[in-house]
Amino acid sequence: MKLKLTCLLTLFMAFAIQISFAQEKSVSGTITAATDGLPLPGVNVIVKGTTRGVQSDFDGNYTIRVSANETLVFSFVGMQTVERSVGVSNTLNVAMDEDATALQEVVVEAFRTSTQEKSNIASTTITASTIEARPNASFAQTLQGQVAGLNITTGNGQPGGNSTINLRGVGSINGSTEPLFIIDGVPVDEDNFRSLNPNDIESLSVLKDAGATSIYGNRGANGVVLIKTRRGSFNSGLKISYTGTTSMSTLQDHDYDLMNSREQLQLEKDFGSGFGATLSDAELAIRAQQVNTDWLDVFFGRSLTQSHTLNLASGGENLNSFTSFGYHDQEGILKRASTLKRFNFRNNTSGRSNNQKFNYATSFSLNYSESNEPNAIGTGGINRNFVIGANQSVPYISPASYIFGNGANIPVIFANTPLFLLDLRDQQVRRDDEIKIIANVNASYKFTEDLTFNTSFGGDFTDEQLLLVESPTSFNAQLFAETGNNTPGFQDNQSTRTVALNFTNSLTYNKTFAEKHTIEASVFTEYFKAHLRGFGFRQLGFDPATFSPGDGSSFIADNANNDFFIDTANANIQNAGLFSYFGFLDYDYDSKYGISGTLRRDASYRFSQSNKWGTFWSVAGRWNISNEAFMDGSVFQELKLRGSYGTSGNQNIIDAVGQGAYFVGADLTEDFFNTGGQYGGVNGLTVGQIGNNDLKWETITQANIGLDFALFSNRLRGSIDVYKKNTTDLFIQTPISPALNGGVTAISANVGELENRGVDLELHYQLFKKTTDDGLNLRLNLVGNYNKQEIINLGPGGDIPFGLRVGGPLAEIYAAPYAGVNPATGNLLFLDINGNITEDINENDQRATGKNVYPDYQGSFGFDMDYKSFFFTTQFNYAVGVDRYDFDLNGFLDPTAIGQFRHSRDILRAWSQPGDVTDIPSLTATNLDDQQFSDRDLREADYLRLRFIQFGYNLPSSVVEKIGFTHLRAFVSGENLVTFTKWRGFDAEGLAASQNGYPTPKTYSFGIEFGF
Amino acid sequence: MKNIYKIILAVITITMVGCNDAIDITQPGRLDAANAFRSVTDLRSGLLGAYNFLDITPEIGLTASFTDEVFRGRDNGGQNTSEQNFNLNSNNGYVFQIWANNYAAIGLANRIIAAAPSIDRTEAPIEYDNVLGQAYAIRAFSHFQILTYFSTDYTDDSALAGLLLLSPTEDIFASVPRSTNGEFYTAIEADLALAEDLITTDEGVTFMGDDFITALRARMAAYRGQYALADGYAASLLSSYPIANQSQYFSMFDDTDFTEIIFSLERAVGDDYDDQGTAGGGWAGSLFAFINPNLGGGPFMEISRSTYNIMDGTSDVRLLRNVNLNESLIDPTYETNPNYLNDDVLLVFKYPGSNNQPLMNDLKVFRSAEMLLIRAEAAADANQLIAAATFIKQLRDARFGSDQPLPNYTNQQQAFGDILDERRLELLFEGHRYVDLKRIGDRGNRQIDRDARECAILAGCTLSNSSDLFTLPIPISEITANPAAVQNPG
Repeated sequence: MKLKLTCLLTLFMAFAIQISFAQEKSVSGTITAATDGLPLPGVNVIVKGTTRGVQSDFDGNYTIRVSANETLVFSFVGMQTVERSVGVSNTLNVAMDEDATALQEVVVEAFRTSTQEKSNIASTTITASTIEARPNASFAQTLQGQVAGLNITTGNGQPGGNSTINLRGVGSINGSTEPLFIIDGVPVDEDNFRSLNPNDIESLSVLKDAGATSIYGNRGANGVVLIKTRRGSFNSGLKISYTGTTSMSTLQDHDYDLMNSREQLQLEKDFGSGFGATLSDAELAIRAQQVNTDWLDVFFGRSLTQSHTLNLASGGENLNSFTSFGYHDQEGILKRASTLKRFNFRNNTSGRSNNQKFNYATSFSLNYSESNEPNAIGTGGINRNFVIGANQSVPYISPASYIFGNGANIPVIFANTPLFLLDLRDQQVRRDDEIKIIANVNASYKFTEDLTFNTSFGGDFTDEQLLLVESPTSFNAQLFAETGNNTPGFQDNQSTRTVALNFTNSLTYNKTFAEKHTIEASVFTEYFKAHLRGFGFRQLGFDPATFSPGDGSSFIADNANNDFFIDTANANIQNAGLFSYFGFLDYDYDSKYGISGTLRRDASYRFSQSNKWGTFWSVAGRWNISNEAFMDGSVFQELKLRGSYGTSGNQNIIDAVGQGAYFVGADLTEDFFNTGGQYGGVNGLTVGQIGNNDLKWETITQANIGLDFALFSNRLRGSIDVYKKNTTDLFIQTPISPALNGGVTAISANVGELENRGVDLELHYQLFKKTTDDGLNLRLNLVGNYNKQEIINLGPGGDIPFGLRVGGPLAEIYAAPYAGVNPATGNLLFLDINGNITEDINENDQRATGKNVYPDYQGSFGFDMDYKSFFFTTQFNYAVGVDRYDFDLNGFLDPTAIGQFRHSRDILRAWSQPGDVTDIPSLTATNLDDQQFSDRDLREADYLRLRFIQFGYNLPSSVVEKIGFTHLRAFVSGENLVTFTKWRGFDAEGLAASQNGYPTPKTYSFGIEFGF
Repeated sequence: MKNIYKIILAVITITMVGCNDAIDITQPGRLDAANAFRSVTDLRSGLLGAYNFLDITPEIGLTASFTDEVFRGRDNGGQNTSEQNFNLNSNNGYVFQIWANNYAAIGLANRIIAAAPSIDRTEAPIEYDNVLGQAYAIRAFSHFQILTYFSTDYTDDSALAGLLLLSPTEDIFASVPRSTNGEFYTAIEADLALAEDLITTDEGVTFMGDDFITALRARMAAYRGQYALADGYAASLLSSYPIANQSQYFSMFDDTDFTEIIFSLERAVGDDYDDQGTAGGGWAGSLFAFINPNLGGGPFMEISRSTYNIMDGTSDVRLLRNVNLNESLIDPTYETNPNYLNDDVLLVFKYPGSNNQPLMNDLKVFRSAEMLLIRAEAAADANQLIAAATFIKQLRDARFGSDQPLPNYTNQQQAFGDILDERRLELLFEGHRYVDLKRIGDRGNRQIDRDARECAILAGCTLSNSSDLFTLPIPISEITANPAAVQNPG
C-alpha cells in the first residue's frame, strides 16, 4: 500500500543476502521511490552475477564496492527491479517504480508479517509519512479518519488528552471498547499516549477481523493496533535527520451569536434581574462603554507549540541502531491552565550472529512529561471549570475586578463566576509528572531453514506524580474554610506506579513443498503480569509565609484546639495477570488459495475463581482471483476475495481509563467483607462485595468478507469489507433481590447481546501519474465506514427504562419531541407519549428516538499531490448520523440565568405577548423544567471538516547535496481549519453531551525536515 | 550453539511454571467470607457493622413529609414533592431505604448468627453471648420495622409482612415469597427470647439490652392491639425511665441528657454517616436543612403551620425544641401574604447537631414518653378513660413545666383522639405519625391535618386512614428481581 513501510522488511531481507566485499571502487547513491521522491530504505543492491550486495539505509543511501564494468541490480518488494551499469561515475542514484502487481507489499499481522498477496486478513497499515510532523501531541488524534472503521473522537483540547478509539462500532456496554495497542511487541495503556513521540513511529497497522485478532484471545475483541517504531539498517553509515515544527493553535469558531455588554445589561434590565436591573439607562450606557469583556478571549487564546525530533541511525555488518531525541512543548488554548511538555529518548538496536541464525532486537524509550491539566472541565463547578468562565460569563464584568490574593473578598454571586476562575487560575496548581518507559527485547534463532524459535520480553512502566494544590489565600480555600480556620488550603500528592510485563515465546515452522504448497505453523505461549502501587496524602492547612505549591515547609500540623489540619493518607496495591497458549496455521497453494486458522486458550486473573480458561478461534481464507489463468489480460492487477470467521474475547469487562484499567474488577467473582462500618467509635465489619461466581469474558464473534482490488494498471486500488460482529455474554446489570442481598439491587452478569454490522471501504485513485521528474502526481483517497448497532438481548432484566432497549442502538437518546412555543401562552409545547400536543410532560413521555452520538457513516477523503518539488495534501473528515444535546446552547437561552450568565441574541426573539409566533419560549414560561424530558436541545452534530491540509517544498536533491544534506524540505500545514456543520458549538466532534467542555483547537504549523 | 538450546529450554520452563502466578492472584487487603468470622472479636466487629446499617432517618423523613409534620421550606428545590403530594410509588427513595437498610442489618445479623457455632465460645463466653444476643435483637428489630411499614394490618396475623430471612443468603439470584405477620411475630418473639437469655451486660443506651427488648415488645404488642401485654411492658420500663422535665427534654435532643432514652442509634463524627449529604443519610437534621438549623442553613423542609399553630404561644418545651424560634421568620399574616414561602420560615430544631457537627444527632428509637403514651392507649382501649387522661396529664405537666388540667374524655374516641394529638407533638419528627394514623387514626377520628394555606398548593389536605398509601409498596427493585414477592394493594 504505502511503499515506505517496506523498510520493515530490512530485517527479513537481510537473511537472504550474502555480503562480500571486492576490491574495486566505491559507488554510492540514493534510492528513491519514483512516485513520491521519498528515500527507500532496505533496497537490495546486488552486483549482477555475484552474491555481493548491500542494502540501502534508512534514508535510501547505499555504498558498494564494484568495478566499472559490472552491473548493479536494485530490487525491492513491491517495486520493479532496476539494473544499472556502473560506468565511470562514483554516484548512482536510482528512482524505483512500483511493481505492476505490487502484491509483495508487507502486511503486518499478529506475531508475523505476510504479503499483500498472501494475507488472509482485514487490516490497514498507516506509515510514518501520515503521522510524522503533525502538531498533535498524541498520535491517536492524528490517526483520525485514516483507517476505515476506526472511529477516533477527541472531545478534549487538553494537549495529549485521551481520545476515544473504537473499531467497527462500540462492542461493549460496560466493558472497555478500545482496541489493544501493541508497541514493538509490548501491550500498552491505550488511554495514555501523551508521553510518546509520534515521530518515532514507523508504521501502524490496524487489525480488524477475527482472522487477525482472534489470536489475541481475550484482549482482541475490540481490534488490535500494532505499532512499530523506526529502526536502523545493517551496513549503513551514520545518518542524522531532524524534524521540527512550530504551531499556533486557536479556539475554533462557534455560532451562538452571544450578547455584548450593552445587550446583556439591557436584557437584565428589561427582565428585571441582575446588575442591569439596578442601572438607569444612562448608567447602563456608561457601564457598557467602559466594560465589554469577551471572556472567551480571557480564558482561551493563541497558544504555541514547538516540537523537535533528532534521529541518528547507523549500522555495521551485524549491529545497527536507531536513536532519537524528542522535545515537545505545547500550550493548550486554555491559557496557563493547560500545558504539556515532554522529553523523549529512544534507542532501538538490532544485531545478529555472523551466520545470521541468531537475531535480536531491542527497543527502549524513556519518556518524561509534565502536564498542567485542569480537572473540572465539563462540570458545573462555577469555581472549578474554567470553560464556564470563558463561555458563560457576563461581559460587563472586567478582569481588572480581580485582585490577586483578594479571592476571599469576591462576593459569592453567579455573575462573579469569571473572577472565581481567574483566582483559581492564579491560585491552584494541578500538575501531572509522568515517566513512561516502554522497552522490549526480541530474539530469534533459526534451528534450520524451516524452524525458528522466537522470544520477546517487554514492559510498559508508568510513574505518575499528581500534585493538586489550593493556596491558602485562594477564593475556594477561604470560602470553604471552617469557621476559625485562618490558614486553609490543601495539597494532594498522589503517586501511582504501574508496570505491565509481557513475555511471549514461539516456535515457527515454515516450509514450501513441491514449489506450490507453503505451510506455516506456529505455537506460542504468552505471559502477562501487571502491578500497581499507589500512595498519597492530603495535607490541610498552609502557613502563607512559607507557602510554595508542592513543598512541605508551610504544612500546618494538627493541634489540640481543633481538627482543621488532620491529614489523610492512602495506599493501594493491585496486581493483574494473564496466561495463554495458542497456535497458528497457514496454508498457501500457489498464491491462489490460502487458508489459515488460529486457536487460543486464555486464562485471566479476573475469572480465576469462575471460568478461568476460555477458548477463542478463527478461520480465514482467500482466493486470489487475479492469479487465475482466466483473468489473464483483465483490467485487474489484483483481485482477491477474503473471508474470515471467529471469536475473540474482552476480559476488560469494566471500562476504565488510565493506569488503573488493568486492575479494575479484579475479583468480582468473590464475596468479601470490608473493615469499616464504624459504630460507637469502633471499627466494625461490613459486607464489601457480593460475588458473581459465574463471571466470564464477553465474547465477540465476527464474520468478515472482503475484496482487495487493483485495476487499470494499479491506478485504482482499494478494498471493501463487510462485517458482522456480535458481542455475547455482555456484562450488564442483572437485578437481584435487595432483601436477600443486603440492599444490593443488581449485580453485573454476562447476559446480553449486542450486534455491530457494517462496511469498511478504502479507495485510492491515481488520477495523474508522473512520467518525468517534473511531472504531476495526483492521488485521490477515500476512507469510509458504515456501522449500525443493535441490542439483541438484555438478559432477564430486560429493557432499562429510558436507557437501553432490545432492538435499539447503544446510548440511545430518549426524549419527547419538542413542538415549539404555544402562541397563546409562551409556554413550551411537546408531544406526549400518545402524540398529543401538551405543555406538560414528564419522564414517562420520553421515547426511544433511535438516535445516538455514534456516527452511522464516518471517514475521510482528500488528495495527495506533488508537482515538481512541491507537495500538497488534504484530508477532509466526515461523520454522519451523530446526535448530541447542545447544553451550551441551553445555557445561552436559559431565562433563569438572566443576571447570572451570558446569553445568545436568540433570546431576544422570546415570546412576549399572546399571538407571538416564535421559536423561543416566554422568558417567564412556567414549564421550562419540562424541557429536560424533550429533544429541544438535541442537535445534529454531523460534520465535514478540513482535518488536515499541508503544502510543502522538497529542495531538489541536486541542490541539497551541494550544501551537504541528503534531503531538506519545508512545509506549512493546518489542522481543523474549516468545519461545515449545523452544530453551533466550538467543536462538532465529541461523544459527550458536554456543556462547557474544552474544545479541540484549530492549529497552523510550520515545519522543516532535513538529513545529513 | 548448545547454549541456545539451554536458554530456550529455560525460557519455556520459566513460562510454564510462571503461568499460575499470573492468573491465581489474590488481591491484597481482601477479607473473604471464610475468614471474616474466626473469633469472638470478629463477631463483635460484625455486630458493629450491623448496628451501622440501622438507620431510621428514612422512616422519619417519610413520616414527616407524607403526613402533616412538615411543609416545603424556603430553600426547597423539589425535595419530598412526591411524598407531600401523596405520591408513594414503588420506586420511592424512602421506601427503598427502609427496605434495604433493614435487610442489610438482617443480612449481617444472619451472618453472625450462622458463624457463631463455629467459634469457640469459651474464649470469652459473656462477650460471645452478648454479641450473639444483640444479633438476634437486631434481626428482631429490623423484621419488625419491615412489618410495620409493609404490612397492611398489624392486627391480622394472616396479612403479608416482608421476607422472613433467618439464615444467610445462599443463592443471590433466588426468589423468595413474603411471609405473614403471624410468621413474623413468632420469629421476632423467638429472637427476642433468645436475645433476652443471652444478653447479660448493659452496654448503654446505644446498644440493645434487656430494656430495648422490653420496649420493642411493648411497641409490638400495642401495634397488634394486645394492650394488656403492652401495658405491662411499658409500665415495667417507666419505673426505671422517668419522664424528663423541661430542661432534660431540651437537652435530650442535644444528646446531653439521657433521662428518657431507652435506646438510640449513635451518630458520631467519623462514622459511615459522616458527610453523607442531604436528605437523610443517617443524619436526621439533614432531612430538613442543607447546612444547619439556622435561617442561612438552607431550610428545605420546615415545620408545618398546622403543627406549629398548636404550640404557638404556649410554654410547651416542645415548641422551643421543635422550632428554632431565635432564627425563624414568623409571619402572622402568612394566611394572606402572597410571598409567605419566603416570609414565613419555621426552622426545625429537633436535630440541631452534636459534637460541633450541625444536623448530626443520635436517633431516638425508644423513649419513656412513648411508653407512657402506650399506657394511655392501653387504658383507653380498656375504656379506663380517667386513667388514660391521667397519663396524658402526666406528660403535659412535664412538657409545660406546670400543672395542666386533667383532660375530660367522654368516650373512647375522644381518648384516642387526644392521645393521637399528644403523640403528634411528643413524637414529632421521630417517625411515628404515619404509623399512628394507620393504626388508631380511625379510633380517634383523626386524619392528616394540614394548614389550608399549605394544602392549597399540594395535591390534598388530608387522606383517608384506610388508604392503601398507609402501607408502603414493596420496592420495584425487589419486585423485579424477586417475582415471588407479591406487591401490596394500591
